[in-house]
Amino acid sequence: MPFQEKSAWIMLLALLLSGIPYISNIVTLSHGAQLPPPNIQQLVYYTIILILIAVIGHIIITAFSAKDANAKLDERERRIFDRAGKLAGYVFGFGSVGSLIFYLFFADGNLLFYGVLGSLIIGQLVEYITKIYFYRWNIL
Amino acid sequence: MASRLPILNHVRTLREQNGSMTQSELGDAVGVTRQTVAAIEQRRYSPSLETSFRIARVFGVGLEKVFSWDDNYIG
Repeated sequence: MPFQEKSAWIMLLALLLSGIPYISNIVTLSHGAQLPPPNIQQLVYYTIILILIAVIGHIIITAFSAKDANAKLDERERRIFDRAGKLAGYVFGFGSVGSLIFYLFFADGNLLFYGVLGSLIIGQLVEYITKIYFYRWNIL
Repeated sequence: MASRLPILNHVRTLREQNGSMTQSELGDAVGVTRQTVAAIEQRRYSPSLETSFRIARVFGVGLEKVFSWDDNYIG
């Protein structure tokens, strides 16, 4: 498995292991459709979890393939990265604009915050999944 | 979507004819990863013109001996 694909798996895992508990925490604290205000401590806590998993994971895969870790992306990998990044950009862009439009109608700052954050998380998930998909199965 | 690209190649045959060169060795020689060489051989990736020339030069043959258009391609 190429180093960059392993890296994408680790980031996907890190994002799921930090994102799912964070989202379930928000859902637990919600009262019906009323979202709780963003809590910076919680956000920092789950961000640290994400960083720790990502750093430890990358240290492990680098230990097993140091040469690949230092290699530059080749032309196929650059194309994979471009496509995945473009798709992630669309998701983040549409999600953020959608959140702004929601804000215009409902003037709910919490919804705006979670909308943009959710778009960022989903955008990143799409990026890692797209990379894995192109690395493993698709033709370019 | 077609399951393969329309450009045929003889990379695997040429590797085997050149002292059983591995995909990694060819990849190192032309500046791509082993996985990219594998994708080229499986017709899942069409290399750039520059990489195509590099591959042909490694084997000491012309480009048309390595790559050709698949006339039976339905895409």
